[in-house]
Amino acid sequence: MSAGRGVSLLGRWALPLLAAAAVSVLPLFTSDPYLLKVLTFVGLNVIIVTGMAVLFGYAGQISLGHAAFFGIGAYASGYVTTALHWPFLAGAALAVALSALGGLLLALPSLRLKGHYLAMATLGFSEIASILFVEAKSITGGNDGLSGIPFASLGHFRVDTPQANYWLVWAVAMLTLLAVAGVVRMRPGRAMSALHGSELGAQACGVDPVAVKVSAFTLSAALAGLAGCLYAHFLGFISPSSFGLETSIVLLAMVVLGGPRSLAGPVSAAVLLTLIPFMDSIVPGLSSGVTTWLQDWRGDLYGIFIIAVMLFAPGGISGAVRSVRGWQARRQAGEEAAP
Amino acid sequence: MDATSLLQFLISGLKNGSIYALVALGFTIVYAATGVVNFAQGEFYMLGGMASAWVMTALHVPLAVAIAAGIALTVAVGLLMERAFLRPRRDAGPLVLIIITIGASLLLRSLARHAFGANELALPSFTSGPSLQFLGAAIERQALWVWGVTVVAVAALWFVYERTSLGRAMRACQVSHEAARLMGIDTAKVVMAAFGLAAALGAIAGIVVAPLTQTSFDVGARLGLKGFAAAILGGLGGFRSAVAGGLLLGVVESLSVAFISSTYKDAIALVLLLLVLFLRPQGLFGHAERVKV
Amino acid sequence: MTMLQVRGLTRVFGGLTALDDVSFDVHPGSIKAIIGPNGAGKSTLFNCVSRFDRATAGTVAFDGADVSRARPSSLVRAGMARTFQNTQLFDDVSALENVLTGAFAVTSTGMLAAALRLPRALREERLARQEALRLLRMVGLERHAETGAGDLPHGLRRLLEIARALASKPRLLLLDEPAAGLNASETAEFAQALYRIRDEGATVVVVEHDMGLVMEVSDEIVVLDRGVKIAEGPPRLVQKDPAVIEAYLGQEPGDDD
Repeated sequence: MSAGRGVSLLGRWALPLLAAAAVSVLPLFTSDPYLLKVLTFVGLNVIIVTGMAVLFGYAGQISLGHAAFFGIGAYASGYVTTALHWPFLAGAALAVALSALGGLLLALPSLRLKGHYLAMATLGFSEIASILFVEAKSITGGNDGLSGIPFASLGHFRVDTPQANYWLVWAVAMLTLLAVAGVVRMRPGRAMSALHGSELGAQACGVDPVAVKVSAFTLSAALAGLAGCLYAHFLGFISPSSFGLETSIVLLAMVVLGGPRSLAGPVSAAVLLTLIPFMDSIVPGLSSGVTTWLQDWRGDLYGIFIIAVMLFAPGGISGAVRSVRGWQARRQAGEEAAP
Repeated sequence: MDATSLLQFLISGLKNGSIYALVALGFTIVYAATGVVNFAQGEFYMLGGMASAWVMTALHVPLAVAIAAGIALTVAVGLLMERAFLRPRRDAGPLVLIIITIGASLLLRSLARHAFGANELALPSFTSGPSLQFLGAAIERQALWVWGVTVVAVAALWFVYERTSLGRAMRACQVSHEAARLMGIDTAKVVMAAFGLAAALGAIAGIVVAPLTQTSFDVGARLGLKGFAAAILGGLGGFRSAVAGGLLLGVVESLSVAFISSTYKDAIALVLLLLVLFLRPQGLFGHAERVKV
Repeated sequence: MTMLQVRGLTRVFGGLTALDDVSFDVHPGSIKAIIGPNGAGKSTLFNCVSRFDRATAGTVAFDGADVSRARPSSLVRAGMARTFQNTQLFDDVSALENVLTGAFAVTSTGMLAAALRLPRALREERLARQEALRLLRMVGLERHAETGAGDLPHGLRRLLEIARALASKPRLLLLDEPAAGLNASETAEFAQALYRIRDEGATVVVVEHDMGLVMEVSDEIVVLDRGVKIAEGPPRLVQKDPAVIEAYLGQEPGDDD
């Protein structure tokens, strides 16, 4: 979305800076490991959803398979750091490279596919990945999962406390947001939005749809893979059930709620939707029964939720914000025009 | 591999292929009437089997009643889904409708888990008795039911489409909703009928195969994907393509189990799906779409 | 050196020959009009030249280079821009964003430079915005810079698409019915805009139905009828050509291109 007239540079950065500051100092005020764990999950989802916002919210390409890239990153790094004793950073690099490659391999043949055909292709890809995660037992451990994944380590510093993991994940999340915000606000982001708006119009601007689709897929897959790697080393144990269709749909729900052509929307949605099933750790006094109920009805609620957003507020959060801003601008213009 | 084993695999492939054909028909019917790929089609398949099995065990009714209940419930769900979730946004772009059916599929799967439990359920074979022998290979009686039901279903569908006014209306909508409306056709009714038929076909597929493979709340996604693979293998064009695609997919899957491996059996259909989408999205019998500028 | 050289361009759709062996040249710095009754193949010609459609036979050379197999987006980078009969704007973003996107072909900030916010990327962005505002001013749309393209009235949408096409600094500009829906004074203003575009160094090819505009601004006219070129030359000669007159008199209303 283009910045409104008269919004100063400081104005646009004020809220994000405030949020970044709040996120950074939070672990100083609590050492509740469960709360920090939940908030670390939020950070991981923010990383994935930022990538998906680029792919879906800007470039308009639907993917039902991002959990597969999340899994590829997790298993890649998990395997090489356990079975092959690679250092963490090498594992992370491999995770990003392999998931980016996966995104590229999926995008290239899918270039001519649109709408439901593309959605089905990503779904097929995701299901194949799920089968591989279960059947390639020597690498993935099959349904029993991969355990004993070591903590992340940066040089000699081991990320082995809840606070350290929180900070690592959120540092990556904030850097990701910073970088991607640059991408979407400038020329590459415009090319993606153009493709979404009108493929013919985009071509008439010199935008090559192939290049945009491939780069959007690759970038979003790489980010999901990076999150997967961090997830694996944070939990120490991964299994195929985390990387299946339901996870992909949950991620889709976040970008759908977030709305198109926005990062703030999907990020807010990711924060909200990740926190809700864990509300008892945030809202004091809320019984754990509520949490159990929410987690048991997670699928139903997400299903209803996706439908409700599409029926009643298809523009999501960012659409709602734009409507409000548009209404405010029109009211202001009306006031200024009045004698 | 000797001829008898090959025949066995072929029989198995045709049996599974019939199921894929029924689900593929469900996709094709909805797509023809609305231009939407209904991601929840696989859940219709799941609901048919699960509802019937649950009704039979929980309410102790005869098999025939359970089957009727299963079909009726699934059709009701299909109609409700169309009316409540899709019709309000029928003019929205394809992306919105895709997402709605994705949400619906997740909702249906989760509701099924709450309603029928997380365990696997099964139906008894429709007729008991030993497998039949054919040229040295064994054919389960239920497999005959599968083929029989498929033939009847396809014949019934043909009849509806070619010999009833509803069928005429549905064919008109396939060409253009606007043209159909100009002819006085109530396109909303046609869309509803399409979903009802698709739900019935999916349910029937799920029911007739439930005695052979157990069913559970989460079988819908993968079967739906295979059904879609069958549909586009033939080309989302018509009934013959859907049936041909289904049978072909079943046989190819079976033969790859015979000659390659059974571990990755499900992946075969999915790889085939990707190959068709990537190389020839119009399927074997369809026409390539021309982009009009 | 001709700017555009079309030789033997043919386009067959199933049983219909929309273009039949069409050839013509466009000289640099000129304004060339393509006219013809409905169904003559004018838009098909545009689509084949700009490679949004694939010709069945024939060649297209742009400034000496054979572009018969080029991708449409590469042509823009080579300096050929176009507008569409049904405007292909980006309705969900502002007019300014639309024109900025048009500058894609003449800017170079990639994902990495944008992510890192390199100084050259920021500078390019600033300059591109200034240029986009200038182009909006040129077509009289600067008041609507922040308006969503989808909210603009029809006539302004066509102008916006022209501004967006100009953002790629084209040497050859293909305009598909740019004056459709404009009234007399708007058309006169548009003619002036065309002259300005030509004076800035671009060559223009226009598909148009407005005969007054065509006769006034064109240096040369190509006349198509049912896919065949039936006349070519300066306006006053084409105007008197019997084949042209007959083609227009025999036209059925409502034929589609």
